[in-house]
Amino acid sequence: MTYTTPGGAPAKAPRDHLYITPRKRRLSEYEAVTCYTQPGPDAFDIEGWFTLGPGPEHRTAWRKESTRLAHPHWWDFRDPAQQWQRTYVRMQAEQERSIERATEDAASAGAFADVDAAWLQDVIAGHYRIWSFFEYALFRAFAVASREALSDTLGNVLCFQGFDHMRHAQAAVLYLMSLEESVEGFLDQGAKERWLDDPAYQPMRALAERLMLSTDDWGELAVAVNLVVAPILSEMSMSQLVRRGGPHRGDSVTPFIVSTTERDRRRNLAYTEELVRMVTTESVEAAAANRDVIAGWIDDWTPPVLEAARALRPAFEQARVDVVSFDGALAAALQAQREVVEALGLSPVAVARSIGGGPRG
Amino acid sequence: MPDLIQAHERVKDFEWAPSYAEKHDRYPTKYRIPRKTKDPFRTLIRDYCTMEQDKDDRQYGALEDVLARSNMPAHAERRWLEVLKIAIPCINFAEVGAMKCTAQLVDTIENAELRQGYMAQMLDEVRHVNQQQYLTRWFAKHAADPDGFAYGTKFRGTDLFGRAARSCFETFFMGDPIECALALQVVGETAYTNAFFVPLTEIAALQGDQASPSVFLSIQSDETRHIANGYSTLAAAVSEPDNHRFLQDDFDRAFWRVHSFADPFLSVTYDYFQTHRTSSYLEKWNEWIAQDWVGSYISKLEPFGLKVPSSYALAQERMPWVGHTAAMVGWGGWPLFFYRFEELREPDFEWMEGKYPGWYDQYGWFWEGFRELTEPGSGNPFNLFPEMPPLCRVCQMPCVFPRLDDNSIRILEHEGRRHAFCSAPCELFFHQDPGRYLGYKTFWELWHGHGLDEYIVKCGLLRADGKTLIGQPHNSDDPRMMWTLEHIKALDHEIRDPLQNPDSIYLA
Repeated sequence: MTYTTPGGAPAKAPRDHLYITPRKRRLSEYEAVTCYTQPGPDAFDIEGWFTLGPGPEHRTAWRKESTRLAHPHWWDFRDPAQQWQRTYVRMQAEQERSIERATEDAASAGAFADVDAAWLQDVIAGHYRIWSFFEYALFRAFAVASREALSDTLGNVLCFQGFDHMRHAQAAVLYLMSLEESVEGFLDQGAKERWLDDPAYQPMRALAERLMLSTDDWGELAVAVNLVVAPILSEMSMSQLVRRGGPHRGDSVTPFIVSTTERDRRRNLAYTEELVRMVTTESVEAAAANRDVIAGWIDDWTPPVLEAARALRPAFEQARVDVVSFDGALAAALQAQREVVEALGLSPVAVARSIGGGPRG
Repeated sequence: MPDLIQAHERVKDFEWAPSYAEKHDRYPTKYRIPRKTKDPFRTLIRDYCTMEQDKDDRQYGALEDVLARSNMPAHAERRWLEVLKIAIPCINFAEVGAMKCTAQLVDTIENAELRQGYMAQMLDEVRHVNQQQYLTRWFAKHAADPDGFAYGTKFRGTDLFGRAARSCFETFFMGDPIECALALQVVGETAYTNAFFVPLTEIAALQGDQASPSVFLSIQSDETRHIANGYSTLAAAVSEPDNHRFLQDDFDRAFWRVHSFADPFLSVTYDYFQTHRTSSYLEKWNEWIAQDWVGSYISKLEPFGLKVPSSYALAQERMPWVGHTAAMVGWGGWPLFFYRFEELREPDFEWMEGKYPGWYDQYGWFWEGFRELTEPGSGNPFNLFPEMPPLCRVCQMPCVFPRLDDNSIRILEHEGRRHAFCSAPCELFFHQDPGRYLGYKTFWELWHGHGLDEYIVKCGLLRADGKTLIGQPHNSDDPRMMWTLEHIKALDHEIRDPLQNPDSIYLA
């Protein structure tokens, strides 16, 4: 519609969600359907909240103190993957279908007969299935984070990550059920008992419970999981042991399933890097304080993550994968993590100490 | 293919009793919820993703393809499209609140089966937020008058009714998480999604709008699962006798907080923005709320100790009038809003009288007066109303219900401030915990003393020429009919909070 008031010049009508400042030249579909859907007094919602929580706290719907990070406008955050529900669900539906097909094809072709029986028993029914409990804990942790995050774009990446972890946990369950149908004598049993009692997994369970029950800061959760847990523990536990080791024991399907979780990990790392960059950029008043907070979180989370990773030495030994040594895998994971953290301009002490060096100049 | 039931049994086994860290109450609840409850849908992520992708492809495919190519919005009734400019942003916040509610439930309810149902619902709610934003953007691209669609999410923040919507839907996630679940799942979804989405698809299609039914029917297909989640939550709550002593109070509050906004708002939406007329909102309310929800759903829970909300009878009594009275505030205050209000015509008058006997005697004078004030400079629409009513401290709705001549408004002083309440239930909720409702100013308190023109400029309610109002009292594109800021200035109208006016009729 072009309209003209009497005596006025024609003015062109707006044809897009013009209240959103696009990150690039044009408003993306992701931005148009996501930005400013979560209201707030720092957005367009004068006066904030009408219904507070019950007394005596009378909490507001969202609280700046939900994170120790500070930023003047959390709605500025953009997911580098530009995921909204449609694209996210499409991606995960494709990943799940590919897993289902790979599993079906392997069963039809008799490929599971090529897999070393001890590998199936020790690593797949054991280590891999035990890991699904860790994934479940992360699902619960990220559900809370998505509730508390201070903008829609942040709440959504945290929600999607929670969904990722539930997907990983359920994929393990479904896969083991397929193996029970295809491999004579294979049983999905004993993993929960080992998760609860096996000394090799107790540091991991302690870490899971701390993330799930004691970590209320959504920014800390993203940093802890995506900059410390995933690059060290997930990398060791899944990528090195299962994804790299599997083919050498005749297993092609489990490594493929793990590769879909790695795709999710890369996406989650990317948004966390974006978050770190956003709050530590020079123009943000609290940049230096934010940098210290994040470095402090990494310092805080590195020891328990390392403890959980080092406790996996028996799992590596039991897996008998010649191509991957425990010490080599850990050193590589730590080095890769250090590079990620340093690329963000962070110099946490624990990262340097974990691989035996001091902070780099 | 793994057996679904067996798979679900194993997925339920993910929970364990933590021993290295202690759970603290992030969202404290007074309820005791047993660990054994059921998710009747047995939602597995693999099946969920495939199902939702199929639904997305169908719905977005329709919008992207035939509806866009046929330029559907150009053929839809303008009157109808106008109300979507405020209705979609309002319902969009309900979806945001629903997402936050289910996230809280994941943390609160110690039950793996329900947690997974809630997880799926969380993603559904993100889906609905995205679908609705996609729809408003789509209308902004294609509608004859796109302004309100282009800025609806922003204007919701300052809009008088948008603020009431936020107040209503904050109950979905502000408070005891189980009370929030009652408000969201048992009242919002089980009762009101039917009353909202089902008439919407019927009425929208009749007005030539095929896009909204595509989106909202797709949303409603998720609601079936959410209603099941709500039933599971409620069944778990009623199964513990200790919960009964506060369950009914919370349920009563949840019902009234949704009713006090949703019913006047939906009644105006459906009864006043139809051109090609069909059922009234009252008929739909009787079908979905009275017969289906109260008559079938809630009554089945009575043996377990849950009764029909105590305020239900009052709500039912108000229903024939609340929409009509709320409409007067909208039309009488049209320059405050970012959507357009069209006069009622003779066929509308006949339909109103047929559906709501006695309507003309109560409201005819107002609509005949409004007709005279649609041309720029023809007069001050605020003068149609004896005086703009105070806003309810609890629900933010105007205190004019059920009718101007039978107003249940109540006013009281609390800690040096004067507060109005639209009804006895809202006043009761205030007394239960006043601090929950004192953290803000009402719309009138915020703008008291501002000139109407000043308000319009501050809120950005002008079109791209910087002169013409986005809201208009008609749907004409004739430039001579467009109200501008100059016309508003000429009214010399000051926004006043009736509670700060010693001569207010409401204080008499």
